Amino acid sequence: MRFFVHGLFLFDTVVTSYSALGSLPPTILRPTGVMKFLPWSFYDALQTHGGMLTLKTLMLVSLLLSTAGFLTRFSTKTSLLLVLFYQGLLRSFGHFNHDEMIAIYFLVVLAFTPCGDAFSIDNWLSRRDRTKPQRPAFAYAYPILLMQLLLAWAYFSSALIKLRVAGVKYLSPDNLPALAIFHSLDNLHDTAFRAAFWLPRVREYLPYFVALILIWELLFPLAVFFRRVRWWILGIGLVFHVSTLFLMNIFFPHQLLMYLIFINWDRLTGKQL
Amino acid sequence: MSIISKLTSSWAQADRAEKRLVIKYAVLTAALFLPLFWAFLAVRNLYPIAAWNVMMAGGDLERGRSYCMLRGETISGETIDVAAIDLTGALYSRNWTMVNATIDNQSFKLKSLHPQNEEMLRQLGGIANLPPGARIPDLLQAWGEIYNKREPESSPKRLKAIRLDMYRWESGRYSEYDKFIESWRKEL
Repeated sequence: MRFFVHGLFLFDTVVTSYSALGSLPPTILRPTGVMKFLPWSFYDALQTHGGMLTLKTLMLVSLLLSTAGFLTRFSTKTSLLLVLFYQGLLRSFGHFNHDEMIAIYFLVVLAFTPCGDAFSIDNWLSRRDRTKPQRPAFAYAYPILLMQLLLAWAYFSSALIKLRVAGVKYLSPDNLPALAIFHSLDNLHDTAFRAAFWLPRVREYLPYFVALILIWELLFPLAVFFRRVRWWILGIGLVFHVSTLFLMNIFFPHQLLMYLIFINWDRLTGKQL
Repeated sequence: MSIISKLTSSWAQADRAEKRLVIKYAVLTAALFLPLFWAFLAVRNLYPIAAWNVMMAGGDLERGRSYCMLRGETISGETIDVAAIDLTGALYSRNWTMVNATIDNQSFKLKSLHPQNEEMLRQLGGIANLPPGARIPDLLQAWGEIYNKREPESSPKRLKAIRLDMYRWESGRYSEYDKFIESWRKEL
């Protein structure tokens, strides 16, 4: 999982233009949460070509080390701090969007658990060290459970918040079409799908669809504890996130990719935990 | 063997080092979940603590909504749509809220202002005198420069100006989505 989560952020860093981000004026920044602790002079220095080049270089080196599992105890922590800072910067320009948040929490878990004991350069280098203590299965099983619970919490709490804030109004026939059309009008979203404009034609059926999604979110924790329903719940999640892309031009690829935490890699590779 | 049964059997046979590990994991769990419970109860995002309040209010047909189109005027005289994601892809899904916040002058409503914003407010005599989107020209300038840097010097697709056109959907019906409100334009 370390290889996958750190590798995902490494991939993001490689394909993203940091110099374009550094061209944005710091005067439109609205530092969010812990980002408020940094002084404006820091942001002024960061929002330059040199500042962004430094940040990107640091992130590439750290994420490369942590993905490969080299100096894992150190590199997973530096990668966590750098990703946390970078994602905070993005949210200080835009809004607190949730796509990458679960992956960030996975980075926290990985930074404080022995995630470099298997598929890593550290492990390969220490194979000859026979005095290395063996950890109990619990040391590896619990972090997986914790990450599964974090993902389940995201969906479960999302449904509860909708019910708390909007109540039964959330099942109004105009809820989904109005939201979807609003997100399909501009050209500032990442995609420009127009499927939302078809929704008013089926508006009388949409409350049932929205209710099903709420029920699915509430039931998501079952995926942690019951293998039989797990693949159904994850399958519905896949369909849900892909449909939000076409209907609302909103996509959560990072969160969707974190579903991989439910795959039993030991079973796939034939190893016993 | 399920994860839960692995956990319980491990605890029964735990020695001192293993119990230390259990305590460490308990602290890690609390450090992650206590702030998340707080965010959930308060329905408040405080980075990096997230409340999953995505679309919590739902859509409302009666409430008007404003939105923007980013457009460029090329040196060949064409007006083209410019996709913000192609300019600042790093912001991924946050370009539209960056624009909305800049139009709303939210960077002038912070407790601690950027020195240049503080200076602008001082010159204009307060936030009440600030026009909507006071920093939109700076954003358009940055976007225009990013766009032109990627086009060859001789390209007819280079922009001579970039603009942000604002529209409003306030009909209360599933039609008439594009009532023009205003436009910001920046010569490059």
